[in-house]
This record gives sequence, structure tokens and C-alpha cells, in this order.
Amino acid sequence: MVREEFPQFLEWFGPGILLLLGVLAVGALLGLFFGYLVAAFRHGPFEAFYVVSQVVAEAVPDFLQTSPRRVLAMAGLAIKEALRRRVVLVTFVIFALSILFGGWFMDSGSDKPEQIYINFVMWGTQMLVLLMGLLISAFSLPEDIKNKTIYTIVTKPVRSTEIVLGRILGFGFLGTVLLALMGIISFFFIWRNLDHKHMIDGPSQTVAAFVEIDSETMKSTISGKRVSPNAISEATTTIDNGHAHRLEIYQDIRSGDDEALQTGDIVETIKRDDGKVTYHRARCMPVGGHTHKVTVSGTGASATVSLGPAIGYFRARQPIYSDELAFYDRDGVKDDKGINVGKEWGYRGYVDGGSRGNLSTLSRAKFSFTNFDASRFPDADFAPLEVNLGVFRSTKGDIEERVTGGLRFESVPENPDVENRYISEIVEFETAEYTVQTLPVPKKLVGRIVAPDGSLVEEGEYDLFSDFAGSNGKLELSLSCRDVNQYLGCARPDVYFRGKDQPFWWNFFKGYVGIWCQMMIIIAMGVALSTFLSTPLVMMGVIAIMIVGFNTSFIQNLAKVDEQGNLLNEFGGGPIASFVRILTQQNVMQDLETGVFNTVIAQADYLAINSMKLLTYLAPDFRQLNFSNYLVYGFAVDDQQLLIAVAVTSAFLLGLVLCGYFCLKTREIAK
Amino acid sequence: MTTDAADAAPSNPPNSSTEATGATGRLEQTNPDYDPNVVIEAQNLTKVYRDFWGRQKVRALNALDLEVRKGEIFGLLGPNGSGKSTTIKLLLGLLFPTSGRAVVLGENATNVAKNERIGYLPEESYLYKFLNAEETLDFYGRLFDMPAKVRRERVQALIEQVGLGKAKRRQLKEYSKGMTRRIGLAQALINDPELILLDEPTSGLDPLGTREMKDMILKLRDEGKTIVMCSHLLADVQDVCDRVAILFQGDLKEMGRVDSLLKVSGETQIRSQDLPESAHAEIRKIIEQHGGTNITIENPTTTLEELFLGIVRDSEARPGMRSAPADKSS
Repeated sequence: MVREEFPQFLEWFGPGILLLLGVLAVGALLGLFFGYLVAAFRHGPFEAFYVVSQVVAEAVPDFLQTSPRRVLAMAGLAIKEALRRRVVLVTFVIFALSILFGGWFMDSGSDKPEQIYINFVMWGTQMLVLLMGLLISAFSLPEDIKNKTIYTIVTKPVRSTEIVLGRILGFGFLGTVLLALMGIISFFFIWRNLDHKHMIDGPSQTVAAFVEIDSETMKSTISGKRVSPNAISEATTTIDNGHAHRLEIYQDIRSGDDEALQTGDIVETIKRDDGKVTYHRARCMPVGGHTHKVTVSGTGASATVSLGPAIGYFRARQPIYSDELAFYDRDGVKDDKGINVGKEWGYRGYVDGGSRGNLSTLSRAKFSFTNFDASRFPDADFAPLEVNLGVFRSTKGDIEERVTGGLRFESVPENPDVENRYISEIVEFETAEYTVQTLPVPKKLVGRIVAPDGSLVEEGEYDLFSDFAGSNGKLELSLSCRDVNQYLGCARPDVYFRGKDQPFWWNFFKGYVGIWCQMMIIIAMGVALSTFLSTPLVMMGVIAIMIVGFNTSFIQNLAKVDEQGNLLNEFGGGPIASFVRILTQQNVMQDLETGVFNTVIAQADYLAINSMKLLTYLAPDFRQLNFSNYLVYGFAVDDQQLLIAVAVTSAFLLGLVLCGYFCLKTREIAK
Repeated sequence: MTTDAADAAPSNPPNSSTEATGATGRLEQTNPDYDPNVVIEAQNLTKVYRDFWGRQKVRALNALDLEVRKGEIFGLLGPNGSGKSTTIKLLLGLLFPTSGRAVVLGENATNVAKNERIGYLPEESYLYKFLNAEETLDFYGRLFDMPAKVRRERVQALIEQVGLGKAKRRQLKEYSKGMTRRIGLAQALINDPELILLDEPTSGLDPLGTREMKDMILKLRDEGKTIVMCSHLLADVQDVCDRVAILFQGDLKEMGRVDSLLKVSGETQIRSQDLPESAHAEIRKIIEQHGGTNITIENPTTTLEELFLGIVRDSEARPGMRSAPADKSS
């Protein structure tokens, strides 16, 4: 998953309000213009002025005199009506059946089972709720008009605002209740299916079940792969939920016997002659992104080892991203994009490891962090760094070996001409491709202090937070490739510190708020369109807007043009040109022959695509309101994003209520 | 809205329930030309129905000039398609006039505010069938912004008034046509309106229901309310209306008081009781002496409605097989 940039709410709010006012002003002008045209057609040009001004004059009192009691009455009616139609019930039954039997088709033993489960419930809920919102809103008002039940409503002192608002609120309430119910059930469904425990596989649940690891090969007899560098013995667990874990007992050598180090995973404590203490600790190796807490009771070979519930499935990581990423080539020259390794995903830039046996010392990717503060991390001893790197191996490298990367931390003085700099030693690590690695960066780093003129001031162990980032909260992290002839690829979102996780349930709730926002817009859109369109047209209209809303960036990319006005997309032009290519079996890379026919096609395509592009500015960008991927990939939905989503939803609701009001107000209810 | 309650129209009948008046509120009359004695005023009111392309389909109402005065029962008569319902819909703001204007209670007909003082019974009772009588009236009461207590009292009073006490918790989809009309009338009266518009009020009712409806209309008139009804059942209109307008193909053909319109000038009717047959010849002679032409001298007949209602009343008073009446001709 690639997290996209989003502004802070307060930065966004000012321009957002201006945009909303601008859209409302343009909408009002267009409404007046078209309203006048229709009125002039029906009543003549002079009478039309009176008609339009009367509508405008009545609008203000209509809004001011909107009665909460009437709105609630209309909302109550909408709820009863929707329940009577049984759309909500059918939606819930489909959801319940999916939950009951969906588990049969999901592999809890797969690599990332939580992604499958969360994706299933989020996508299923989203589709069902949006479809329900569309159906109840599209049928309501047209049915009332068709059955003439609306006659007994509009002949009471009910404003059009109250009819539109009441319906939106009524259906919204029903959708909210349904969504809450689905959310709670989904939460327990995921929890129930992923939560599991393991036992040690073997006759004994004690340390005696562990077998020693060959200290020369350091390879596991269970998996055949290399074990952790400090592992001394291993065991395996029973297969539960389709997988088993490898357990390791490893050595943890510490300088002293600190009480904070006395955790429940210690098998044995050995005090050494040099004053240091060696702890033998048991740990559960992760599988598919989760592990289990290991608890040891007793000491030595007879100590009992037990495993707790799964840890790591239910994450809501809060990444602390760098503000800037810059690449430097092997000559130390700054470059924005890094090395292009050829036909690869252009998202990442690559860092050169050097060539001809010489390790490149200047080639690196530099990440600049701000507001780097210990309070943002859960553990003061470590700052977890998560990296998801791409590796490009040249033919001269050893394909069997993991590529080594290096991390170096530097302080960023406000005034580099007078202030010293902290520079750490390079911390090496083995890269793992196609997965997110967590590297615990210790609080104390070995490094040096360098004076502004480059001379060494002091060498020693310095604090990551108070020394490196202490003065101004700024920190630079340089990523280098420590293997000659190899390349490490990264983009700005690939390297981040993992701050304090948010509670999973809270993040889950925020994901559902995203679905709620989408549902409310669909309901409001359905109600607004149903004030002047029949049910089939409302459904077609809302579905069309949904398609545009879910594919905003795709459509905007389709409409990109070069300086000559030619479409730049990689699909061979617009819909008509593509159709011609299919008929004439021409590939999309080749330009169509020049001529009158193709020029007409190109111009028609240009118009069609730009009309669609125009729609993208009117339709809500549903991706902005969709947080499913955050939940699926275990990232916390930022509060700022949530605020923006709610504000965007409110703006659309306001616009759609206004639109619905004027459409209902200016139409004849009777035929 | 509730602040307008103090501006209750002075023309409110003295027995209008104060709860309802206070609950629904009355709008301040802003029209300086408003004559409180003229409840409805239509000037050159025209409605042309058009198709999607704006082409004229039918001229449903043509330059109607009309005035309904406070406290009268006004009937709109005409065959199907004559423009009666169109007129009612224009007065309610359900349709917009093509030209001309309609003023109701001093407000433009399209102004929602006028609905505070109006009750409307549509041709079919277009109500929500999934609600029961109490829920229906409670819902419409809420639309008049009535507080809960006032609403509850008003709902119970109206349910009793229209005789649906035993069926008040049944869904409307289980109601007979007559019961549906009665709950329809109750919803039209929920706000204790000054003006009541009734579209075919007796349509689908049995003779007993029809009589009750007509009695109810007369009672409402006696309470000081103004009633406009449209119907093509002429006997009903004749029974209750003070004034009528007769429409045909959108044109107003006749308008006036019912008694003056029905008066047959040039003929004289004498009704007498216990007059012997022998006197008939003498009466004929006197008529001839005065130059008149004798048309008929015979026993008058009652109406079928009166006969039916008499039988029903008699049957209610004395249940069981009714003895055959003696043949009066024998």
C-alpha cells in the first residue's frame, strides 16, 4: 500500500471553504440562469423575472422556518417506509449469510490472513451499504409522487427543505444503525477467526522440547533456513489456524542485571565473570505478520513454555514519515529520483552499492524527519524503523545472499556554520524483499560529534532523541547499499518510524466512518436526484457518479494532454479511437493515421474525455473517503484525514440538500 | 413558527379548539389587500398541460375567475375532465398556473405558509397504508408542529369524531373504502383548519357514509369553516352547497347560489296534506280561471336516499326481519 499525501485539516479547511463558497456561487448563478430560461419558456420573459425572484425570496424563509419536529416526522416516516420495503432487512440477511459462510472460503493459514478477512468485511460492507443507500433513496420520493401520498404532505405546511432533509436523515439513521451492526459483527468475525493459540509440538510443553541449533551452520532443522544470529535452540508449535511457529531460545547479553529486563520470557539467567548478564529468553518467530507472547514459568530444562493469543494481526500503525527524500549518486551529487534500474516500477529510486569491488560511500538516500520526539514512540529504548525496500541485483552480485543495507543518523543543526553535528556509525542490516522489515533502532547510538569545519570533536554513545534530534526535532537518516554491484530501491513512504499504535478497534471505527461518509453522500444524492427524476434515472445517475467518484484519478489521467492538445494516456486515445483500434486491430502504441476521419475522432474523444473530467470535479472523490486499505494493511487512519472526510461529506450534503430543495420547490407535484 | 400563534385569524370560529390553534400557530397576514371575508380568489386562472417538448396537450382550465367567501360551502361541479380537480390542485399549489393567479387566505397559492390554515381531503385518500389511524394522525399533527400533548388529544378527538375508535390500531391497508375516507377527513381536520378543500368527498361511500359525510360538512360550515368541494354527484352538491360553479371543458359555465340556480321560474308548486281527491278538480278549475296550465296534481314521492336511510334507522332500532310495508297503492 502506498499512503498518499494529505494536508492537515486546518491547512485544508480555509481553501476548502473558499472552494465550497465558489461552487455554491457558481451553482446559484447557473441555477438562476437555467431557472429563468425554463420560466421564460413557460411564462414569458417578463413574468419569468417575477417567478424566479419569488422562488428566491421564498427560499430564505423556507430555510429559516425549517422545523426540527417536521424534519423528524419526515425522517420517522422515511425509516418506516424503508423498513417496510425490506431493503434493509435483505441487506442484513445477505451480510449475515456472507459472514456465516464466507469463512469457508478464506484461508486463515495464508501469509496475511488479516488482510483477507479485513478486506472481505470492509469491501462487502461498503458495497452492501452503498447499494442499500441507493435503493432506499432512489425509490422513496418517486414512489410517493407516483402513489400521490405526497399530496397529503405538501398540502401541509411542510417546506421542501424538510422533505429533503427528513428523508436524508431518516435513511441516514437507518443506514447508520445497519452499518454499526455490521461493523460490530465484522469486528468479532475477524477477531474470532484470527484469534488462536498454539502449543509446543511434542510430548512436553517445557524447555526440554527444544533442540540445539548447530552453531556452525546456524541453520534450522525445522525450516532449513538460517536462524537468528543469537539463537541457541529451537522448537515448533502445533498447527493452528493453518500455520505453525518456530520457537527459539536466544541469548540476550546485558551489561547489568536490571529489574526492567526481568520479563516473563526468561528461561535462564547466567551471571558472567566480566560482570555482564546473559539471559536465555524464549521467543516465537513471526508467521504471516503475527506472533505470540511467550511466557516461561520456572527455570532451566523443566521450565514450562506457554504461548498467548496472536499479536500483530490487529495493528493500527502510525507511521512517522520523512518530510523529504533526496538521492545522492556515487559522486555525492544530489538527485531527486535516484538511479533508474530500467523496466521497473517508477515509484522507487535506487541507491548504488558501488562497482569494481569498491563500496560506494557517497551514494545514499537521505530521509529528512521533523518533530522527531521520544513521546511519539511506545518504547523509550527503541525507535522502531519499518522499511519496505526493493532490491535490484546486477548479474555480478551473489543471488543467494541477502543484500545488506546501512543506516546512518545525523542531526540537522539550525545553524550549521556554528553548531556541531552528531553523526552515527553506519548500522548494517540484512534486507528482506517483498515484506516490511521492522528494525529496532536503539536509543543509544555509537557515533561522533563533528565541528562545523569537519573536525572531530568527540566520539562516544549518543542519544537518538536528546542528542541527534534534541535541539530542533530534526533528524536525517541516510540509507545506503552495503553490497557492491547491488542496488537498494526506496520511495519516501517505504521508510518510516513506527510511532505509538492506535487501538485497533478505534481504527476499525474510523474505517467505518469512511463507509458512513460514502453512504451519506449516496443517500443524499439519491434523494436530491429523486426530486426531479424517476427511480430508474436516479439509479443510473447515482451509479454513474459513483463510477466517476471511485475512478477520479484514472479519468483525470485519461484526460491529460500535451502542449498540442493531444491526449497523453497510454490507452491509445479516447473511447472512439479505442473502438476504432479494436475494429481495425491496431495497437495502442501506434498513432492513428492522420486524416479527416481520425481528426474528427480525436476531437470527439477530446470532448468526451473532458466532459468526464468535468464530472470528476462535481462527483465526490470516494477514494478520499475510503479507508479500507489502511485497515487492511494495518495503518492508522489519520485524524486529520478523518476530519477532512467528514468535512467533505458535510459540504456535499449541504450542496445536495440545496439542490434537492430547489428542484422540489420548482416542480409541479401533481400531474 | 410558534410565535405566530398570537396572530390567529380573527375569523376563527369561537369553538375552534384553542389547543389546536395554539399548536399549529397562525401566520401573520402580510398581504395589505387581504379581505378576510374572501377566502379564495382566482383571477384569470389558466392551466395548460404540456408534453416534454413544451407542446400543448390540453387546456384544463381557461381563465377562471372565482371568489369564495368565508363561511360558505362552495361546490365545483362538472363532468370528468372539466377542470374541477385541476382547480383544487392549483389552489393548493400542487400545480402552477400557466397564467392568472390564485390567492388563498390572502397568500399566493404556491406559498407553503397558507397550508397552516388549510385542510385537504384528496379524491382518493392518499395515505401511508403501513401506518394505523393513530400513527397517521400523529404524523400529520407533527407536520403542523403540534406539541406531543396537544397532538395526542387532537388525535383521539378526531378518531372518535370520525367513528374509527375501534379500528384505530389497524393498519390503513386493512380499512374499507368508507373507513379510508373517514381517516382521510380526519387528517384534513387535524389542524382545525379555516378552509377545507374536499375532492369528491362522498366518492365510494355507501348511502349511510354519504349522509354522514354530508352532515359532517354541514356541521363544519356551522362551526364557521369555509368548505370548497368538487364532485360530479349532483345530489350531494345540491344537498350541502350554498353556492356552486359549473365547469365544462375548463370553462366556467355557471356560478351562483344553489337555490337561485335551481329555481324554475314560471312554475308554481303547491304542497298540501290531507287534501281529498274531490278537491283536485276544483283546484284545476281555479288554475284555469287564472290562465295557468295545469301540469300535474299527484302525491309526491320521497327520495331513494331518504327511504334507504329510514330503513337503516328502523333496522338499527329494531333488529331482526323487517315486516313488509303495506302496499300504499292498494
